[in-house]
This record gives sequence, structure tokens and C-alpha cells, in this order.
Amino acid sequence: MVLNWKVAEGYYLYRSRFAAKTQVGRSLPLNLPDGEPYDDPNFGDEQIFREDVSIAIAPVVQPLTLTWQGCQQDGICYAPQTATLTAQGTLEWPQPPIAKDRLGFLQAQATPETVARSAPVSTGITVSEETGLIESLASRGGSAFAILAFFGFGLLLAFTPCVLPMLPILTGMLAGQGAPIRARRGLVLTGTYVLAMASAFGLLGVVAAWSGANLQVALQSPAAIGLVSALFCLLALSMFGAFELQMPAALQARLGRARRRDGSVGAAAVLGLTSALIIGPCVTAPLAGALLYIAQTGDVALGATALFALGLGQGMPLLAVGMFGPRILPRSGAWMKVTKRVFGVVFLGFAIWLAGRVLPGQIILTLWAALLIGTGVAVWTAACMPAMLYRSATFTLSILLVVTGILEGVGAALGGSDPTRPLAPLRVAADVVTRSSEVNFSTVTSAAELKRTLSEDGKRPALVYVTAEWCVTCRVIERGPLSDPGVIAELVEMNSVKFDVTEMTPSARDTLRELAVAGPPTMLFLDASRTEVASSRLVGDIDSAELLRSLRIVGQ
Amino acid sequence: MTITRRNLLTGGAGVALIASSNASLARAQEISVNDVLNDPVGPVEGNPSGDVTIVEYFDYQCPFCKKTHPTVTDIVASDGNLRLVMKDWPIFGAPSVYASQLALGAVELGLHTRAKEALMATEGRFDHAQVDETLRAAAIDVEAVQNAYLENRAKWDGLLDRNSMQAAAMGLNGTPVFIIGRTLYPGALDRAGLEKAVEQARQEG
Repeated sequence: MVLNWKVAEGYYLYRSRFAAKTQVGRSLPLNLPDGEPYDDPNFGDEQIFREDVSIAIAPVVQPLTLTWQGCQQDGICYAPQTATLTAQGTLEWPQPPIAKDRLGFLQAQATPETVARSAPVSTGITVSEETGLIESLASRGGSAFAILAFFGFGLLLAFTPCVLPMLPILTGMLAGQGAPIRARRGLVLTGTYVLAMASAFGLLGVVAAWSGANLQVALQSPAAIGLVSALFCLLALSMFGAFELQMPAALQARLGRARRRDGSVGAAAVLGLTSALIIGPCVTAPLAGALLYIAQTGDVALGATALFALGLGQGMPLLAVGMFGPRILPRSGAWMKVTKRVFGVVFLGFAIWLAGRVLPGQIILTLWAALLIGTGVAVWTAACMPAMLYRSATFTLSILLVVTGILEGVGAALGGSDPTRPLAPLRVAADVVTRSSEVNFSTVTSAAELKRTLSEDGKRPALVYVTAEWCVTCRVIERGPLSDPGVIAELVEMNSVKFDVTEMTPSARDTLRELAVAGPPTMLFLDASRTEVASSRLVGDIDSAELLRSLRIVGQ
Repeated sequence: MTITRRNLLTGGAGVALIASSNASLARAQEISVNDVLNDPVGPVEGNPSGDVTIVEYFDYQCPFCKKTHPTVTDIVASDGNLRLVMKDWPIFGAPSVYASQLALGAVELGLHTRAKEALMATEGRFDHAQVDETLRAAAIDVEAVQNAYLENRAKWDGLLDRNSMQAAAMGLNGTPVFIIGRTLYPGALDRAGLEKAVEQARQEG
């Protein structure tokens, strides 16, 4: 009888570690072939087998225990392996080792080389594969129908917190024109803004096809935020009359007077692009659907067109503002000036709000304090002017602004970080009581932590909530459905994990791709085997009913 | 009849497991992360209050353990904030068990690190006589460490037992295996791999 060992490439077996023993422990000599000398100064005659090994043995009359040992070259040396050769000539293997869960340690995915190359850590989650939004629409009515439907989704999304910040930006831009503008001019500027916004959405599709990432989410970087924040400061300064927003004089002279106003059209385009990409990085169900469609099918044309239509839909109400806004805005005189200054303050507020995504809370509170007190003092000065109308109201407003500013300042000094609750540090004791009425999320920021948190509590179904500090919609969800007592009661049954992507590291990006998530807010519902439950995923703004529906599907 | 690589890799656990009874299998399942990181008697090197623990399951005859070892000690020394727990898991037969026993016996004499470094500096495989020679060459009194081991035999055999039981409980295949932070890395790591793993452990806290 001949025993064959197949040795895989890159592995070897030690010649001296082969052994055969009878049941009573008597060693049988093995007729081993010569091996390759192993480079080992201490052990001169050590030999190894890098190729297959054949050993001829006499027919066995009683069970024989075979052991052998080997290594993976430059990797790992395995503990001795054993098998029993029965009297019938069959091989029996011992039971594989118990406990595959590594005691809760995470298994690195890897051989040394791949660790060195920092292989992405998997979350261990199986994502549910479903027909995408675009595919199901296109199969129902063709590509044109899908694009039209996306325009419709855009209209529906137009009044969500994603689009609302764009209203003051747009109105401010119109007010900042200086001279009274006609409806047609307003329409041109707004149209440029909306077209730029829609193009930015289309661009998201192209970038997703090229890099697999959601550009909006990737752009939540300190550099991009800082740049846009600075842009808003500039806009504010121009509102205060520090300078006129237009093209450099030399360029204007060359292009001639006819093109003089193109500067503001250009500014509208820049604002439209940044609004969609950085200011309101809103992940909605149609957006996520389109990005996934592109990622899965590579069909950039349809995906990007659908996204463009979505952006156009979202911009429709803004067009109305562009048409009718100029009629509402004061045309000239003192009020025009006041309006511009108000928008200047609003733009500075935008700059601070944006900076809050990357700067520490205390600095942000200090900035709010400075803005509020500064504005309050300016209003006070205005109220002192002899021709001032509504004088008491103006004084009251001034005092309110200053007092709020002082509260923010005190909050900053106390180490507070939330501008809407500047004095929160004083309420620590009270918070312990209110906490019980909140969902108990464990927060993770990496795939490894996510996997660990999910495996530590392996039996319960799990909710993975992808969120970020810069995600406006997430705050709406947290104040809404996630504060609903009915939802909280249901969520007690779940292992609830927040995957915080405020800092979009490359590994966080890899994880989002693995989970097929376009960005926050997204909720994944997993069963006990950490498989996503079909048609339970929630993307974008949601209400309690939708959340409860998903929870019920998982519960079944 | 064919023995494939798959069988080679998954066919069996460590020596101790093969020899162990059902009772110790049951005990193996009660092992916790804390048992792995904080053994009551196992030697701890580096910075005992470091923020990241590197655990290494090793055998004195495992060539890749020895090859990686200078890098491991270098990183632990230069970082200054790493806790190193080297766990003897002798899988290369009697000479390996003997080497571990003597190195642990040296703990009482304050010579553990010297004994361990001397044994790790050997290349490849060795026998009993070569273990003695190696220690003598490092100015260690072999008889003294033998006696020190025998006086505390229960303690050190208990430690070796626990180490191999942990290896079995985690389904470890062989040596070296690193546990850095919360992640388990089977097989040798190069400098970049070790540094990366430490950095990741720090990020995860």
C-alpha cells in the first residue's frame, strides 16, 4: 500500500516529523524517500519535502496513527497533523478543532504580504441583492420612463432638508446683484444655478462609475469644506459692500462691456455645483439607487442622466424663486441695503455651519457667539438712527441677538459643542435620566469594529445605521423616528450600531462599497447570520412607519 | 489514497489537543479574551502598561518565529508603549517543550529574557543537547534553570497547558500567530505588517 502526500506550492513537510505508531504506541519505521537538504546550520541532516511524498508501507493488520508536520514557507509552521489508517485501509481524520470564533478576536484576512498591503477588513455582512430602482423602472417603461421618474423623485425631494439650505443661498445671490433685476434676469441666474446643480448630480454618476465612490461623501473633507466656507465668507463680504462679485477688470475689458454681467452667472454656476456637492450632501433613495445601478451595470449614460433629471427635479421650486423672488425683493434704496446685509449675515452663518463639520464644537460656538453679538450690535446701531421705523422691535431683536450670542459664548467656555444646546454641559445630571428614552446605539468607525460589535452580540438581529456629523438628514431622522417611543420600544430587540463616517477614511470608503451604501443616512437590517434582510434597507429621510415596517420584516 | 493540502491545513489541532481528554476540550471553550491577554503567571515584556498588547504564540524551533523575532523586539523597544506577551506553544516535539521549560524556569532567576533571546537566535531545529549548549553559551547555568523549573513545575506546566488550550480554542493551526489589539494574524509578519497592525489596533482603541 502506498500513501501519498500532495504538497502545495510554497509549503513543505519535515522529513524527520513523519511518524507511524500502532495503537499501543510502538513506532513503525517508515521507508521515506530522500528529501531536499534544508538550510539549517544547527541541524545538518534536516531534510524537507517541497514536492509530493510517497511512502510504501506493508499492509496494516491493526490501526496505525500517522503524524506529519510542515510549514508554509516564510509564513507559518503548522502543529503536527494526524490521521488514523484503519485495518480496512481507510483514513480517518480527527474532528476539526472546536471554536471557530477565535474567542472574539478578529481574523486578519491574510497572509503576511496582504497584511503589509493593508487588505481591506471585511465586515462579514452579506448584502441583500435586489433589483435596483433604475432597472425596475426601465423594465417597466424603458429608459425614458426611468429618467422621467427620476425627475419626479426630484420634485418630491424638493422640500426636504436637502434642498432647503439652497433657498437662502439662491435668494441671497439674487439680492446680491446690487441693481434691481427683472424676472428674466432672475430666471437666467436661477436657471444657471439649477443646471449646475443638476450637472453636479450627473457628475456624481460619472465619478461613481470611475472610482466607485460617492463624490458627495468623499468631498466632506476639511479641505473642501474649508474652501466652501471661505467662499461663503467672501460672498458675505460682497454683500456688506466690500467689493462687487464680478470678473476681474482686465478680463472684463477684454471681453467688452456686453459680457460684463457674466461674472454673476459664473458665480451662480459655482454656487450650484458646490450646493449639490458640498453644502447639502444628501443621500436619498433615488440617488443611492442610481449610484448602485452604475456601480453594478457600468451603464454611466442612463445612470448619470437619471441623476441629472433628479437634480433638475429638485431645482424646479428654486426656479420659481428665481422668477418671483425679484418681485418680492426690494428694488432699491435703504431696504435693498438692509436685505443685502441680512443675507451677508446668513452667508456668514452658512460658513460657520459648514465649518462645524470639521472644526471642534467649542470653536464653532465661539464663532456663533461672535456672529450673533456682532449682528446684535449692528442692529442696535441701526435702531439708533433717527429715521428708523419699528424702533422697539429693532431694539428687542438686537437684545435677543446679543443675549443668544452671550449664551453661545458661555457654552463655548463651558466646553459645549452643540449650538442648539450651548449650555448642555450644565445638564449632564439631567441627561442620565433622559438617556433611557433614546435608542442605545454603539458607535463604530471602522469595518473591524463593526464586525466585532456585530459578533459580540451574535444572536439578535442588528440595525446598522450609517451616519455622519455633516449629514443633515441624519439629524432629522434622529429627532424624528429615532425619538419615537414606538420605534424605541421595537429597537430594544435589536443590536443597534451606528457606523459613523464623519471622517471618510479610505477604509470607511471601502466598507461603504462592500455594503453597497452610497452614504449617510442609510439603515441596514441584518438577521442573526448577519445577512441583510431582503427589501428592508432604508435610504435617506424616513418616517416612523417605514422604520417600523423594516423592523417587522426583520422580526419575522 | 491521497492526503491533500486541505487536510494538512485543517486536519488536526495542536499536540496538546490531540492528547487531551473531553474534559479539557470543555474547559477550552470557557477561555476568554482576558485569559489570552492577562495570564496570571505568563511573562510580560515591553511596557507592561502599554496601550496595545502584542500576543505571539511561538515555538523555539519554528524558523519563521525566529526570523521575525528581532523585528518584534525592535518594534516593541522603539515604540515604548507596547506590551509584549510571548506565549510558548511548543508544537515541534520534545526539544521544543524542553526549551520552553528551561526558558520559563529562568524566570525565577531573572534570566528569562536572556534565555529566550538566546534560544530565539538559533536557526531552525535543535535537540536537547543543543538547547543546553545554547543556554550555556549565553552564560546561563543549565542545571540551575532546570531546578528552578522543577521547583515551579506545576505553575509552568499549567501555563504551557493553558497556552495550547487557548490555541485550540481559537482554532490556531501553528506558529507564529500574532494577536495585535483585537485582531488575529496567523503566520509571520514583516516590519510593515507589524507596524500596520499596531497602528490599526491604536485606531480601534
